[in-house]
Amino acid sequence: MMCEKYEDKLIGLLNNELTPAEQAELEKHLTECQGCSEELAGLRDVWEMMAEMETPEPSAHMRVKFQAMLDTYKESVEDTKPGVWTSIRERLGKIWQLQTRWPLAYSLVIVLVGFGLGYWLFSSGKGGEQEQQLKALSSQVHELKQTMMLALLENPSASERIRGVSYTSEIKHADKEVIDALLATLNNDPNVNVRLSTLDALSHLANHPEVREGLIRSIEKQDSPIMQLAIADVMLKLQEKRSVKSFEDMLKQKDLNPGVRDKIKQTITQLI
Amino acid sequence: MLRVKAGDLDRMGLLFERHHRSLYGFLFHMTYQREASEDMVQNVFYKMLKYRHTFTGQGEFVAWMFQIARNTLKDQAKKNKNKVQQLPAEEMEDRLPGGMSADEHLEKKQDKASLYKAMASLSEDHREILTLNRLQELKYGEIGQILGISEVAAKTRAFRAMQELKNIYSKMER
Ligand SMILES: [Zn+2]
Repeated sequence: MMCEKYEDKLIGLLNNELTPAEQAELEKHLTECQGCSEELAGLRDVWEMMAEMETPEPSAHMRVKFQAMLDTYKESVEDTKPGVWTSIRERLGKIWQLQTRWPLAYSLVIVLVGFGLGYWLFSSGKGGEQEQQLKALSSQVHELKQTMMLALLENPSASERIRGVSYTSEIKHADKEVIDALLATLNNDPNVNVRLSTLDALSHLANHPEVREGLIRSIEKQDSPIMQLAIADVMLKLQEKRSVKSFEDMLKQKDLNPGVRDKIKQTITQLI
Repeated sequence: MLRVKAGDLDRMGLLFERHHRSLYGFLFHMTYQREASEDMVQNVFYKMLKYRHTFTGQGEFVAWMFQIARNTLKDQAKKNKNKVQQLPAEEMEDRLPGGMSADEHLEKKQDKASLYKAMASLSEDHREILTLNRLQELKYGEIGQILGISEVAAKTRAFRAMQELKNIYSKMER
């Protein structure tokens, strides 16, 4: 058995953190104490082997994704008007971030860049036109982003669908198509995590009347306790009195989870 | 990082170049999932940008980065609580880096595989501290900062972790 009071010293020795005085003292002890010197020898073997432990290399596109994230972030922070080139670069940066593991996006981006730049270069020379073309390009980018988001919502993998939902925050003006897709996901997605993320995304779009109405209609469709609790929270946050009726209907369900029942009663009181 | 905080956001690129590998290494050894680890690296850098005003410059940047990484791991674990996180040791092998040259002895290769397995079967606290200590080569003072414990407590925990690792490993080798 080793001496307990030398534990810190042994680990300190292995990690090269002892002062010369501590080291001398420990070495002296080790010559006198078999328990401690055996323990040290055993630990040192494993310690040395650990030096050879490896970590796989992160993939190369991690750097690209980081740069895109940084650019996007900078764009969101700086409210300055970027020049034409940086503006294109940053918009494309956002798409790079979007594409992640979706090869189709690569080809779309390439087609788009080719089209956009070609169009632009061939008809350059007239000042105002450039601005206009840039606008056209950026609206195409926006459209593309939306298309990708909608496609992700159809993906069989739940994490990809969540990814799709999260892109909603990047779409500046959610139009009817996006809202409908999100509401359909909220009501029909088999995965509760996807439904939760969707509810969260929709709650940020609650300034659209269609979203509010969709959320209220969705109350009766949610049968999982987590979703029922979450949607009650959203209604409270939005102070949506029109939801009271749906919650009252929910209370009529016999098999309603008791925790949910309490929460719903409480929600109704707070809303009225 | 203080320059990032002051608004020079491009400096974050430099910090990424310097630290993304070790951050990835830490996250990988905590999860054994490459893709998820890459996503988390991204997430940690995003949080560092977003919360740059909380960096005081008193502690080390590295400690701050690993603190954020730990929180990210916790969030991730919460998200995945329905999924089974721990892999059986056999499956682990496929996920670990190869990279052994052909002339290395088979025996050594097996030793190494056993060590990875032993590492994977440690409790999370122990695997965490040894990853920081041995793979990131951090000092116990820094580790204490990251884990929110004293330097002495970090030493004690590291010692226990090493003992546990040694015991599991020697059982495997027998
Ligand atoms: Zn002793």
